[in-house]
Amino acid sequence: MAIDTFIFVLISGIVLGGLYALMAVGLSVVWTTLDVFNFAHGAFVALGAYVAWQISQSAPGPAGFALAAALSVAFMFAFGFCLHFGIIKPFERSPNIVLLAVITTLAASSIIENGIQLVWGPREKQIDPNIDMRVDFGGVAIAGIDLLSLAVALLALAGLAVFLRRSATGRAMRAAAQNREAAELMGFNVAFLFAIAFGIAAATAALAGVFIGSLRFINPSFGADPLMKSLIVVIFGGVAQFTSPIYAAFIIGIVEAFSIYFLGLYWAPAVLFALMIAVLMIKPEGLFGNRQKTL
Amino acid sequence: MKYAPPFHRTNGLVPVIIALATLIVLPLIFTDTYVRHILILVFIYAILASNWDLSLGYGGVFNFAHMAFFAIGLYAYGIGAKIIGIDPWLTILLAPLASMAFAALLAAPILRLEGIYVILVTIAASQLLLKIVVSQSDITGGTSGMVLLPRLTIGDYRLTSDGRIGYYYVALLLLAASTVFLYKLERSSVGRAIKALRDNKYYAISRGVSEGATRLYTLCASAVLPGLAGAFYGSYVRVASPDVFGLSFLTITLSILLVGGVSTIWGPIIAAFAITVFAELLGEYGAWRDIIVACVIIGVVVIYPGGLFAGIQELWDALDSRKAALIALWRRRFQAGRRSELMGGPDRMVETSHGRIAVFDNGNSGQALLFIHGNSACKEAFFRQVAAFGDRYRIVAFDLPGHGVSENGNPRTDYNYEAYARVAAEIVEKLSLGTPIVFGWSLGGYVALEYAAAGNPTRALAICGTSPLGTFPDDMPLGYIASPHMELAGKRFFSWYEKRIYAAKTVPAEDAQAQLVRHAVWRTDGRAREQVVARMKTVDWPRQIRLMKEGTVPFAMINGPEDPFINHDYCAGFPYGNIWRGKTQNIAGGGHAPFLAAAAAFNAAFAEFLAEFETLKPATQSELATPD
Amino acid sequence: MTGELLQLSSLSGGYPPVSVFRNVDLTIGKGEAVGLFGPNGHGKTTLLKTVAGLIDPWDGEIRFDGRRLNAEGVMAARISKHLNYDLFRRRRIQARDVVRAGLIYVMQGNLLFPEMTVDEVLHIAPSASRGRSGVSEMQSLVRDLFPRLRERRHSKIRYLSGGERQMVSIAVGLLALPRLLILDEPTLGLSPKLRLELSEAIARIRDAQVPLLVVDQNVEFLTSLVDRLYLFDHGSITSEIDKAHMPSHDEIMTMLFGSAP
Repeated sequence: MAIDTFIFVLISGIVLGGLYALMAVGLSVVWTTLDVFNFAHGAFVALGAYVAWQISQSAPGPAGFALAAALSVAFMFAFGFCLHFGIIKPFERSPNIVLLAVITTLAASSIIENGIQLVWGPREKQIDPNIDMRVDFGGVAIAGIDLLSLAVALLALAGLAVFLRRSATGRAMRAAAQNREAAELMGFNVAFLFAIAFGIAAATAALAGVFIGSLRFINPSFGADPLMKSLIVVIFGGVAQFTSPIYAAFIIGIVEAFSIYFLGLYWAPAVLFALMIAVLMIKPEGLFGNRQKTL
Repeated sequence: MKYAPPFHRTNGLVPVIIALATLIVLPLIFTDTYVRHILILVFIYAILASNWDLSLGYGGVFNFAHMAFFAIGLYAYGIGAKIIGIDPWLTILLAPLASMAFAALLAAPILRLEGIYVILVTIAASQLLLKIVVSQSDITGGTSGMVLLPRLTIGDYRLTSDGRIGYYYVALLLLAASTVFLYKLERSSVGRAIKALRDNKYYAISRGVSEGATRLYTLCASAVLPGLAGAFYGSYVRVASPDVFGLSFLTITLSILLVGGVSTIWGPIIAAFAITVFAELLGEYGAWRDIIVACVIIGVVVIYPGGLFAGIQELWDALDSRKAALIALWRRRFQAGRRSELMGGPDRMVETSHGRIAVFDNGNSGQALLFIHGNSACKEAFFRQVAAFGDRYRIVAFDLPGHGVSENGNPRTDYNYEAYARVAAEIVEKLSLGTPIVFGWSLGGYVALEYAAAGNPTRALAICGTSPLGTFPDDMPLGYIASPHMELAGKRFFSWYEKRIYAAKTVPAEDAQAQLVRHAVWRTDGRAREQVVARMKTVDWPRQIRLMKEGTVPFAMINGPEDPFINHDYCAGFPYGNIWRGKTQNIAGGGHAPFLAAAAAFNAAFAEFLAEFETLKPATQSELATPD
Repeated sequence: MTGELLQLSSLSGGYPPVSVFRNVDLTIGKGEAVGLFGPNGHGKTTLLKTVAGLIDPWDGEIRFDGRRLNAEGVMAARISKHLNYDLFRRRRIQARDVVRAGLIYVMQGNLLFPEMTVDEVLHIAPSASRGRSGVSEMQSLVRDLFPRLRERRHSKIRYLSGGERQMVSIAVGLLALPRLLILDEPTLGLSPKLRLELSEAIARIRDAQVPLLVVDQNVEFLTSLVDRLYLFDHGSITSEIDKAHMPSHDEIMTMLFGSAP
């Protein structure tokens, strides 16, 4: 394997990892705060991509792409925020919440997917970011949009980390995630904080959707694949902490890039799944997880 | 001892027979192939969802690879019947082995996992399986699947002939087999271990339930029928495509399970019909159909998380109490003659703080006797005492709330021993009975004890078929002989068989006159049985014990030695302070109700008891006596 | 208004359909320290959680400084077992309103937020008392009371000992500027030395004119701390004892159980 091929594969793995991290972080934020697994996350990615596509149709150029991404993220934040009150909040005190949330999020996913189909039709679409720049990197040409997606993903994750660790709202969210009753006794509006967590998850999913939509074609049901990928990532890294899937995402991205190179497109996913099951059997809480769930 | 009657003696028998008969007749009415096709799909969904309930609902193991069991059955049929060339029927029977093997493999990685992690791993495992299936495109046909699988035939008869009627009945047979399997399994020791692990894992383990083995059984057992159904599905649609691994198939089946109701066998079956038929009715609306179905599912889960079956049960509950009240009303209006003939006089309704109570009062002027009947009986149980003592004494008997021709009460406030004792006290006051001699039978014995222990006027007290309880529930197994009938005493719904057996055991008199008493159980409000037993822990039992030990009220215990419920040694050995004739009295030949079934002997003894205490004006009673 | 700070009138509640406490009448005057004593498992914590707004009361009234905190009327009985009543019913009391009013409940055996550091927790604690002055005075009191917390300010809560956790819980309660501080078994499960340390701190909180309602299993500590004592048994207040007639441990046992063990 030539060194430039190696670098190319490595960089595409890292870019992939950035996208995966963006997709998976939303899942783990929801899991660590609300104790539920959000099966509508893939649909969030898809809806975010379609909203961005719609805006980019009427706003040309790189600025239009930026605007589309920003509006899509804002829209999805509001969407996720509201959705929480419809599909999670009503039974948040039920002992069956895990199972009930599985079915409501699956149903929400079906609603979103079919809604996309009704509004935008079943034909495939692609967002044009209007970024034709290529960056030469040690003799390897990397597409500008790849680098942009990596940079934005890293910035978004850093921003999220700062928000959760430093801001009052972020700290309150972490408090509510760790001990709901104690947070209520400190006067926090826990339902509001949980809705924000759901909104953040939807917003990061939208950001991932915008970049996926500018890298390949999208159709109403394309969210299933990102959902499965995020699932692998969170299992691999562990869902106990919102940061652990981020490291895992980069490992998965790189492993996937290399296994596609060596084994071909067909076998690469099987390698990932087998790897994940191996991790689970040896360390069920994930590579970077501990059993204590925290935000 | 857990009371678990066989299925043909439960209330489920009649609805199941009706449903089964309907399903057998249905294809003869709807000859349309499409309707039969939909029903076949309904049966398959019902099998998938109800078997999933075994792991998800009963076991609490969130296995999301359940659809993979079905897929394995499907592909096993494709490979076995088409590629290897095994007989299609034999392949269908062998397919579950493949799905069970996968289930056994699946049990390993989730052995140490809980909750959400089980969901993640099982989804991953089924996706892994999908990747393997898709990658082996020479055998499985890759993403486009296997086509033209062999169809089922019996001799030269194709099951697709005559509008698929053959497939319809095979599918129905599979559903019936699945239901019998689940019903039996749930009641077996394995089924109880599965539920015990879900409800209290560590306690179950400490009692010797192996978590690993039980999870293995759960998964394997839940894989059998989906494997069978998958193979059958393959022979029916003749295509094996990887779509069955998809999220949409999983979503529909899970919706059926949750909308029907988790941890019920019948819920998913009912929901399979409801959801599939509902979706078919919306058939023309395309994407809107899926949106509407998803909204309805969210609506059901959010508004009524118990699901359809719980809803049906709640409706049934409400109807059952109404039905009992209606029977009471009907008997009050139209059977007054029979009651009056038996008792030698009419009864009347008396307003109490626990509802309107039917009271019989012979209006005589002698010493008052108050009779209190037992669980699921009525005041007419004492008609032989009315006949024997009516000329000398004033005899009053009443139907407890929810019994006889009294009104139903509020289950929260009216169906407990304290309330029953208050009803007795209010009747004594309203009818100006002075200081009555109180006789209580069985449950009525506790009412009589509670009445006297609460300080109500009592000249003397006699109980029959009642074991004194010092503490509850500790003394229950001492005072009573454990038998399924003890469980019946607190059971809300009686099947026809249970009504008959309960009446026969408690009222061992076969003659036509006692028939009215035996029929009382058909009218009794089931909530009265349920609540009075459920609220036994709130009764002040030590106060009753103090009453019996201190002996301030003359007290007699007259039992039947053949009484199948009470522990005679326990009753005889109890340290009574002042029991009539120094010990418990036995009247042979009357079982649980000697005053009814061995009336002559009982009345003779009872007459002596009455004679001894009717004239007594004990000093200890002065503070209890009413002002008159 | 008179000097009543907290007034519970015939308050009933529990976890539907199980009734836990019935017809509780309890008053706490301004500047008073009141104790609540009773056997375990008889509903004290459920009562306090109801007052704090975590559980809906069924019936009765919770008044704080003359203002009613819970909704008017009786909570209707549940007709259906399975219907999701959370969807149709408004909460009858909100923890947020209770905290804003200045009634601060420090939970029993509180684990707080295991993955946050002491500093982070103390940083978000005063958010309940937004808009009121006196936080800095309270901060200095907390520093004074619990010097140990300063040493451990960068530790995560899960690595603290039980006593240190209790200190953080009380500190969090104090930083919310309580007008009434409810302490639920503050010395539960602590070593004798730490118990003594915490008892002294609580006595100093009382001396700093913070009204208190304290539940504890240690009768001597309770009788020396409070002005009045309520005995609680089988879900009801059974008697009320004032400072002048404070009984001994054995006398209280006799009142509750009929004889001293």
